[in-house]
Amino acid sequence: MKKTILEMNAITKFIFDEHGQPLRGTTVKILEDVHFDVKEAEVHVLVGENGAGKSTLMKIIGGIIPADEGEMLLDGEVITFAGPRESLAHGIGFIHQELNLCLNLDVAQNIFLGRERQKKLFIDKASMYTEAREMLLRLGFDIDPKTMVRDLSTAQQQIVEIVKVLSYDCRIIIMDEPTASLTKSEIDKLFAIIHDLRRNGISIIYISHRFEELKEIGDRITVLRDGRYIGTVDIEDFDYDKIISMMVGRKLGAMFQSSHQVQDEVVLEVKGLRISRNTEPINLYVRSGEVVGLSGLVGAGRTELGKSIFGSRTYYGGEILYMGEEIGGLHPSNLIEKGVIYLSEDRKLEGLVLDMSLKDNITMASLKRMYPKTKIDFKREEVVAQESIDKLNIVANSVEQICNTLSGGNQQKVVVAKWLLTNPKLLILDEPTRGIDVNAKSEIYKIIDQLASQGVAILMISSELPEIIGMSDRIYVMKRGAIAAELTDKREFIQEKILSHTL
Amino acid sequence: MSTTQLLFSEKVRRFVKRNGSVVIFLILAIIASIFVKNFFALNNFLTIIKQAAIPIIACLGITLVLMTGGIDLSLGYTLGLCSITVGLLVKGVGLPIWLSIFITLLVGLLVGFINGILVQVVKVPAFIVTLGTGYIIFGIAQIVSSGSDINRLPANFRAIGVTNIFGLNTTVLISLIICVVMYYLLHHSTFGRSLSAFGFNAKAARMSGIKTERLNISVYMICSFLVAIAAILLTIRVNCAQPTMGGGVYTFEVITGAIIGGASLFGGIGTVIGSVFGVLTIKVLENCINLLNVSYYTYQAFQGIVILLAIIFENVKNRRL
Repeated sequence: MKKTILEMNAITKFIFDEHGQPLRGTTVKILEDVHFDVKEAEVHVLVGENGAGKSTLMKIIGGIIPADEGEMLLDGEVITFAGPRESLAHGIGFIHQELNLCLNLDVAQNIFLGRERQKKLFIDKASMYTEAREMLLRLGFDIDPKTMVRDLSTAQQQIVEIVKVLSYDCRIIIMDEPTASLTKSEIDKLFAIIHDLRRNGISIIYISHRFEELKEIGDRITVLRDGRYIGTVDIEDFDYDKIISMMVGRKLGAMFQSSHQVQDEVVLEVKGLRISRNTEPINLYVRSGEVVGLSGLVGAGRTELGKSIFGSRTYYGGEILYMGEEIGGLHPSNLIEKGVIYLSEDRKLEGLVLDMSLKDNITMASLKRMYPKTKIDFKREEVVAQESIDKLNIVANSVEQICNTLSGGNQQKVVVAKWLLTNPKLLILDEPTRGIDVNAKSEIYKIIDQLASQGVAILMISSELPEIIGMSDRIYVMKRGAIAAELTDKREFIQEKILSHTL
Repeated sequence: MSTTQLLFSEKVRRFVKRNGSVVIFLILAIIASIFVKNFFALNNFLTIIKQAAIPIIACLGITLVLMTGGIDLSLGYTLGLCSITVGLLVKGVGLPIWLSIFITLLVGLLVGFINGILVQVVKVPAFIVTLGTGYIIFGIAQIVSSGSDINRLPANFRAIGVTNIFGLNTTVLISLIICVVMYYLLHHSTFGRSLSAFGFNAKAARMSGIKTERLNISVYMICSFLVAIAAILLTIRVNCAQPTMGGGVYTFEVITGAIIGGASLFGGIGTVIGSVFGVLTIKVLENCINLLNVSYYTYQAFQGIVILLAIIFENVKNRRL
């Protein structure tokens, strides 16, 4: 029996306001009565949907945010961390999903940031570079420590982050989705490192969405759902279906529904539009009640096309006809009035005003329609927002809750709610389900289908092929800023086939 | 799930959070009442209100600008230009009073329009634009006035600002009306909501159908318009139109008021009540320094301390409440 080194009991974290203060006395909690423990020299995998509370739990261990209730024991002693530095001093290292490196410094400078090796008054660059090089080589990576971090690939940056944390002599290392941006061979190297660390008595807490990885490196698996502790399973008892049902909590119905009927009326027609000077002209159309998938690799020009239609980008010639009327170059405000909307792929930068409340965000695109005389009717606004919350199952404390305290899935639903309130006739959806969990995804698919059956025309940009295949009536594939293929026969909707057009 | 009835303590908490400057003002007023002789007197309070009335008008203007994430450093110079404009028109040219005022307000709007266009269309940072236009405006004011003041303005012109209605000075009354209008505009209209959204996230606001370009320019126009009103009232109050009226010191006093009032330099946040009490706080301090017969330089140091305390208070409040 291995020794338990870290134990967390009855951890509760309330949702918090814009200043990070807990809102007690609410029914919505980020974490509720969560138990978690880490044994010596084990890889403990943490799984759960987005918004299940994995990251929050890790942030508590990493000293980034405090728990509101419950206790944390390190080597059997109750401990609280006032900040990430304290946590690090106790031997807990945190490798974040979003990397925390200074892009303007080189590899060695990043590794030794804040504890630069010194020779009298001066920084001892030579020994820093040698040490950094040794550390990298020990892990099997030949990266020049003098390279600027900016010039490294994401995967290489990840490696630097890992080296940095390792150099602190940590006993517990938290890895939040470390393989998300790595290639197969890099993942293999990472796993070798993890095996190595475990052999040396170091424990790893590993967050991942990739099930195939879990069996390979995990010793135990803990499942969180909706902020609650569901259970811990030893790897010997690993069963794919069991873990899924623990995560989801209920059986998923058919993800994709299709109850809509394509009609004849052409709602959007793009003729000869060039998204840049050197690209081929784009021709496409979307009919009423039709879901048109727009597939292609990142950078193929899909978002640029969407934004060109929505008056948020300059394009180079061509016509954009909406119900036969030229709408090119109109301000989003006029387009929204006409019933054209564009749901941005970047909800934090372009979709939501994170510092404002749910209510403010939901009504934001409908202000002019709801209050033609500019006077805000607060009661009506609250009712309208509450209706949206109920309709879309947004999990929130109240309509006054600030959006940056919501989980990704709920934020996305707020954006969707905002657009639905405008009564759109043409929806351009740019990655409508990016970064949200399975349940929220299936709900959004349902909404898309409902809208289409009401006769709304939908152009859906997506990088997820199953989504494109499952939802679309017709598919355009983009490549290098132009339409590379149009697939109209559903029998052609095959991943390999679509992919072959994108490359 | 409907929103539950808020507890009284929760209401208080929210009020303090949104209107920190009211608390600062009260604390300062209580301290002053205890320690400063002659402070706690109706007459003295009326003096403070009279002194605050005009800067409050300008402060509400800059509050809007700060909410966009911008700034208007030309504010004080605009005040001088509008002062000399109204003085020249009323006394020098001898235009009818209503026309003089109308033209002065137009001058204010024009200044705001130019600032707004430069910020929005030419996309130069507001800090630099208004620093530049500020000097230009100052220069123009000097040229049109040949550097001299215009004293002893016509009595019927002065009546606009110094008459008493229901025991209230018209200047105070005008200021009050502006506060009410601005309160409606900022907190009960789609304009205020859009402004907040724009200040927090201009991209998302634009893509949600807010005409951010127009909004941004209009904010600078409203600000300079309010400054023009303040200039007319101040000219009446001191009975002298001066090209040097206002200036950089005035700009900073007004910005200070807004900052004490909780307006954020990063945009998005600003309230009418906050800014009003921000200015009142400054004026109470000024009043105390006068009553205590301390030198003006000490006053400036005190003002600095109050700004710092206000910002510290703001931080503590945000963390604890």
